[in-house]
Amino acid sequence: MAETTMLALFEDIDPAADAIEKLHEMGVTDDRINVISGVPVLERMLGRPLQWTNVSRLALAGAIVGFALGVFFNYGTPNLYSIRVGGQPLYPIPPGFILIFELTMLLALLATFLGVFLDSYFPNYRPMHYVPEISDGKIGVFFKVPEDDQQKFTDALSQLGAESVSPTEAQQL
Amino acid sequence: MAVVSNPYSSDRKADALDHHDEHDPRQQLMFDPRPRGEMNRMVMESMLTTSWRFWVVFGILSVLVAVCFFYAWGYMIAEGLYVAGVNRPAYWGIFLVNTVFWIGISHAGTFISAILRVFKAEFRRPFTRAAELMTTFGLIQAGASIFMHLGRVWLAYWMIPIPNVRQLWPNFHSPLMWDLLAITTYVLGSTMYLFLPLIPDLAMARDRSTGWRKTFYKILALGFRGTEGEWVHLRTAMNIFAFAIIPVMFSVHTIVSWDFAMAMRPGWSSTVFGPYFVVGALHSGMGAVAIVLAVMRATMIHMDYFIRAEHFDALGKLMLIVSMAWAYFFFNDYLVQWYGGDRWTDQLFHYHEAGPMAWMFFGMLIVNIAIPWLTLWNRRFRQNPWLLALVGLLINVGMYFERYIIIPISLTINRMPFTWRLYEPGIEIWLTIGTFAMFLLFYMIASRLIPLVPVWEVQEGQMAHSLRKVGKVHVPAVSEME
Repeated sequence: MAETTMLALFEDIDPAADAIEKLHEMGVTDDRINVISGVPVLERMLGRPLQWTNVSRLALAGAIVGFALGVFFNYGTPNLYSIRVGGQPLYPIPPGFILIFELTMLLALLATFLGVFLDSYFPNYRPMHYVPEISDGKIGVFFKVPEDDQQKFTDALSQLGAESVSPTEAQQL
Repeated sequence: MAVVSNPYSSDRKADALDHHDEHDPRQQLMFDPRPRGEMNRMVMESMLTTSWRFWVVFGILSVLVAVCFFYAWGYMIAEGLYVAGVNRPAYWGIFLVNTVFWIGISHAGTFISAILRVFKAEFRRPFTRAAELMTTFGLIQAGASIFMHLGRVWLAYWMIPIPNVRQLWPNFHSPLMWDLLAITTYVLGSTMYLFLPLIPDLAMARDRSTGWRKTFYKILALGFRGTEGEWVHLRTAMNIFAFAIIPVMFSVHTIVSWDFAMAMRPGWSSTVFGPYFVVGALHSGMGAVAIVLAVMRATMIHMDYFIRAEHFDALGKLMLIVSMAWAYFFFNDYLVQWYGGDRWTDQLFHYHEAGPMAWMFFGMLIVNIAIPWLTLWNRRFRQNPWLLALVGLLINVGMYFERYIIIPISLTINRMPFTWRLYEPGIEIWLTIGTFAMFLLFYMIASRLIPLVPVWEVQEGQMAHSLRKVGKVHVPAVSEME
């Protein structure tokens, strides 16, 4: 059966949460629902499953790479071409901490930044489901339903306070 | 919970107001919510509304940048460093004064955005971006000042960590390499930290623009829609940044201080220089934020809604505390060296206090300590934008004096009296004017292109605030939204 993507727009969080609960009752699973909003709304406020993010893991990976790079610069490069000066150590330990710290932080921050891009698929300029009212503070609930059931879902969500419920198509932002 | 919260929408409205005649919570931005669409419109109008005065100032600053920055720098490169005033014994002059000054200015952005975010200080919300921009633009000027100081700027790549033709790597144990890496880390980190929370506001601007602006915001918004996943990734990243950028901020100015403190020179060799420099950076940075906010509020429409007396009040308190901390570190640094009784340090201190530049030394103490302490204890004074901006301006003059005293004036007195000579700046003065003009010009351009108020953060804050009845009164309460 052909499916269509519908968009229900809400003014507040409470009716949006009720609508998602209703969608669950009507057999729409979470993987067929997507919520977009102009401010961050916690998943548990809407009764949605927690979102997975790799950003913190990528940050840790970046920190480890930065640490290793710092160790190499400090304690590796002097050995590649040894120049001993005045009996001083080839690689003194305390000053090395500074470089290691800076590189650890730099790579951690870069990895965090790139993590947002990777996890969010940024940049993405393809047509997508969206309405500009979202950045005006509205909450949009997208859900996929069989074409024949459109009216049933429209009625159900309108009763719960949706400002509008209508089929939607991907568009250029 | 409603997206647009209104603490006065309940039937307790009249009761609440009865008890808050003198201190109406609606004087605070968090208790005076407006619909998100209206706030978006206000921020967009503030970007799009430009008076003729803007273009006059823009034109003057553009000419100053062209002449005092690019032409003067090009002239110095063509002629050599002799056109600058640096000479024996003061080989470090205004270029490094400017470097330290601009890095100091940059600290306020991180302090306000990261530290206040970590501690959930709600008053930060409307002006985090204006402060973060100071960080990025200040660091650009700091970087330019270092390159000016280099003289043969085309050889700057020697510090990039790659081996040269003889397979020799840079000396990573040199404070100059620490500087390079610390400032690079800070520039990249603070720019990314500026950009991440900007994405939702760029998406908002994209939805409300046409023509070239639409294309501009569309590219920068990266396709952001506000899905649950996007918010989670963004929020996680912002939390990591907020915690990670704080030690980076402290490290940068500490490392800058080590450029001096690692040398066995009178006036420089001090174990307290690290924290003393960090506090000094915050001192000048806070003052600069006060100036920026006062100018924003006065020159951009609708900004009086977002930036209020409460924000200047909070900023004034911070400035007072930082002034006290700066006085503590200054006295600590001064007393320990004075008590040490080193002959050359005594000579230097005598030169500071009774030499030809003594006016600068005492001027520094007056504007960095006396004026903030005498004025900022007063709430009415703190809440007046222009008075606070004036104190901020004086503090910045004082902090510039401080760096001038530490660098070229302290270099005048060394262990070889036959070399003593007072530093007299040459082309540095023009280049300094150029960096200041460029900083202001960047800010003016940003004010036309970037939403200076993070609207989504303001709305998030307004959602989290409510009035809670305790006994006979309603008191502000903040919910945990994260």
